[in-house]
Amino acid sequence: MSMRFVSTILTGVLAAGAVSGGAPRAGSAPAPSAAVVKGTVKVQGAVPKATRIDMSQDPKCSPGHPGGVMTDDIVADGSSGLEDAIVYVSQGLGDAKFEPPKEAAVIEQKGCMYKPHVVAVRANQELKVVNSDTTTHNIHPAPNNNRESNQTQPPGAPLSMTFAREEIAIPVKCNIHPWMHSYIAVFKHPYFAVTGKDGSFEIGNLPPGSYTITAWHGKLGTTIQKITVGESETKTIEFVLKAQAGS
Amino acid sequence: MGIGTVKKIGMAVVALGILMATVQPSYAIPAFARKYGLPCSACHEAWPKLNNFGITFRDNGYQLGKGRDAPIYQDPGYWPIAFRMTPQWHRESTSPRPLDAIPGNGGSGTVAGGITKSGLDISSIDMLVAGTLYKNVSFFAQPFLSDGGVFIGQMHIRFDNLLGSRWLNVKMGKFELDLPISEERSLTLDNTGGAYFNYQFRPVADSNVFGGIGNAQLGVELQGHSENSYTRYSLAMTSSSDGATGLAVNSTYNVFGNFTQGFELPKLGLQRVGVYGYLGQSPTYFQTVGGSPIAGTGTGNRSFYRAGAYGLWYLGKVDLSTFFEHGQDNVYLGNSTPANQPALLPVGAVGPSWNGGFAEAHYTYNPQLILISRYEILRMSRQANPGVRSELGNLDAWTVGYRWYPFMSSRAGLAWVQEYSHLVTQEAAPVFGTSEHKSSYVMGFDFDF
Amino acid sequence: MRTKNISTNCVVLLALLFSSVTSFAQQSHIGKLTGNAKQGKALYRRYCIFCHGPYGDGTGENAPYMDPKPRDFTKATFKCRSTPSGSLPLDSDLYDTISRGVHSSGMPSWRPLTRQQRADLVAYVKSFSSRFEEEKPGAALEIPPAPPNSAESAKHGAELFESMNCWSCHGKEGRGNGPNARTLTDSKGYPIVPPDLTSGMHFKCGDSDQAMFRDLMTGLDGTPMPSFSDAVKPAEAWDLVHYVETLHLNAKKGILVKAEPKGE
Repeated sequence: MSMRFVSTILTGVLAAGAVSGGAPRAGSAPAPSAAVVKGTVKVQGAVPKATRIDMSQDPKCSPGHPGGVMTDDIVADGSSGLEDAIVYVSQGLGDAKFEPPKEAAVIEQKGCMYKPHVVAVRANQELKVVNSDTTTHNIHPAPNNNRESNQTQPPGAPLSMTFAREEIAIPVKCNIHPWMHSYIAVFKHPYFAVTGKDGSFEIGNLPPGSYTITAWHGKLGTTIQKITVGESETKTIEFVLKAQAGS
Repeated sequence: MGIGTVKKIGMAVVALGILMATVQPSYAIPAFARKYGLPCSACHEAWPKLNNFGITFRDNGYQLGKGRDAPIYQDPGYWPIAFRMTPQWHRESTSPRPLDAIPGNGGSGTVAGGITKSGLDISSIDMLVAGTLYKNVSFFAQPFLSDGGVFIGQMHIRFDNLLGSRWLNVKMGKFELDLPISEERSLTLDNTGGAYFNYQFRPVADSNVFGGIGNAQLGVELQGHSENSYTRYSLAMTSSSDGATGLAVNSTYNVFGNFTQGFELPKLGLQRVGVYGYLGQSPTYFQTVGGSPIAGTGTGNRSFYRAGAYGLWYLGKVDLSTFFEHGQDNVYLGNSTPANQPALLPVGAVGPSWNGGFAEAHYTYNPQLILISRYEILRMSRQANPGVRSELGNLDAWTVGYRWYPFMSSRAGLAWVQEYSHLVTQEAAPVFGTSEHKSSYVMGFDFDF
Repeated sequence: MRTKNISTNCVVLLALLFSSVTSFAQQSHIGKLTGNAKQGKALYRRYCIFCHGPYGDGTGENAPYMDPKPRDFTKATFKCRSTPSGSLPLDSDLYDTISRGVHSSGMPSWRPLTRQQRADLVAYVKSFSSRFEEEKPGAALEIPPAPPNSAESAKHGAELFESMNCWSCHGKEGRGNGPNARTLTDSKGYPIVPPDLTSGMHFKCGDSDQAMFRDLMTGLDGTPMPSFSDAVKPAEAWDLVHYVETLHLNAKKGILVKAEPKGE
């Protein structure tokens, strides 16, 4: 049992806070009748063990990791809560249009890892790419439905990028450090959340209605649930994604 | 029917061929298509006729020039060989021509008659063996198999981009000259309308060994071209054996040159014009023993030349190839007289000369269908023997046809061909003081793989 | 009634205008040339379809046998661009690629086609992706005059080659054997290897100094080669170009080969 796993449980217990990426903020105060969907994404089955990443090719990477660093492709806490899954409304919003938020989302390259592993943004929202390392990275999103780009980023000023179309999710890699992977999910609406360390999520400010809610994970695929929420209702749902041997 | 009438009909047929505009072709060495994954239509307007991309590919030594040409880049199972075959139904009729009044009785007197032949035929199988040996080193061989045996149509090696220059490429062996309009790549098949008469012409009773620029010659060719082959030149030195293999005594060397320049016209695209000339010598008699000539000992060389100009004109889907040739043979050649016995020349004998040309129109409906029509003419301007009627040897020929390529791939090609041609030879039937008409219809398939 | 007529006319007029705008997107403009997608389609079907496919997605009948694979035009991702990474190429970038061909690939030079035909092909290639109607190409990279090649410049280029982690793919000696060289894939997931810069190879987007400068700055989209436009200053990019030239130079034992003269 790795150190990281223990600390994950600890932080999971202590923090237990969902990273809510989506609820609308400035300019659209929650309607009094708005509903909330919250709950947990759990993983079922044996989660493949994280493996130690060999960063020896670039000595500038390791100072951030005196004890070594483990892969973060699938991270679950002691009660199977799955981190870095995305829960979002995939159907039921009709043709509603939403303005992207003014403030930028941030993805950071630190110790030659992406923080966070999954970042969710809105279409045309600025995504700031920060390099906190002393080495040079390149950030290379490989979208299907958006523009592919590939920028070198030495230490220093952040880069900025936007994605015009919804896409869940765009794999991102650094060709210089081939172990570096992350995902950028792009939504055209604000009803999504990235799960916290305990697998919890909360999507707020949802107009009453019937929706299809999808839980997505980069390695474990997707699962959906259909729900109906009434005025001011808070609905709690649980998603289970299956870890298959070898996944 | 006068020549004028024939010409009018021929022209009308050409025009009609253009108007019909409903059928068309494809094209040619599938070994290259397989190697590069390009379809026939990339190199051929309609196979076997090359377009400018194909001309550039050929001029570059069968290379695309992107670092993948040497055979080391090919699957080891790749074999640089292709076959071409043409099963067909053919009907040919000749009229009028002299026949004995009672067949089998030579003394029964001569009457004008006609002969019609028809049947299924296969002509020959062409093998096209061509590829690269190494970067800038390539080869080409074209043996053909027929009931008469196996013949080597062409066979040569070439070295390209010498000194890093695309203006210096050399090939050696037996090859079709860099003709204004390739006869090997003619879109028509049959032997009345398939060949270019101007390419093969010799006046009646002429003893010139040289059979015409259409014959493959043994030689060395220096060739060069601009990057897109808009500008090209070819300079060949050939043995005076008209392509016959084996060594000859007193063999001389002939020279062929061709220069072409392409240019773009707004909206119409690439046009091409060129000039060419062949200057050679031919023996007029042989060493003899007991009066019998010893093979390969030709001597008493006398000169001849062929020269002309041509243009390839593109007007959207219609294109026109125009060709003109002037030919002249030495007086001894023209009269089949040994140069060491001038007394044998007829009174007033001169070197024969003639002019000829053709116009060939194509309508390329799409890469899979091409309509073809051609009108060819040849006129003696001076007979070698003033006693011979001036029209002897004149000819008119026209052809219409189409090639339809039902599918297009980079592995094989198939064309369904129909063509009709008509040849009028002046004074070929002197018994009747008239001209001979020969018509030919071919329907068949032309395929290669 | 009359007003209605006028407004109907206006609608018709607008529709006409709009349709002409739409067709404008089916054109290409290279210098004085205007390419037309309709003519381009006929040419594409004759010359291009067997690799790039009827839908322009790079799945022509020969695609399975090719390496690298034919470009998928529906993604509008192009290697050889003078525009920033992620943006659409200029018409002239596509025209240049069609004209030049792509070295070490099945893509030949199409200079034997007329300029007009190549411009028509550009227009048709653009029609495979709606991005060309929705977006404008990025701003063209400005290529400042090349400073003289000096030992000092090449040395600084070597330092940048180290600090910019170029070596992680291209190798410490530029031999294409960096620690990541075997992990690389193109954007379709096919394995792709970095070139051996010391082999005297030809660059895919042209061998001139300016082409190398441009490729460094804009990156080769669809491959792991990133853009350095936000990472190095133009003078530094020239230093890198000079360093890569010394690798080439070593390959040719002192003879710097400038292959493939520039043409149109």
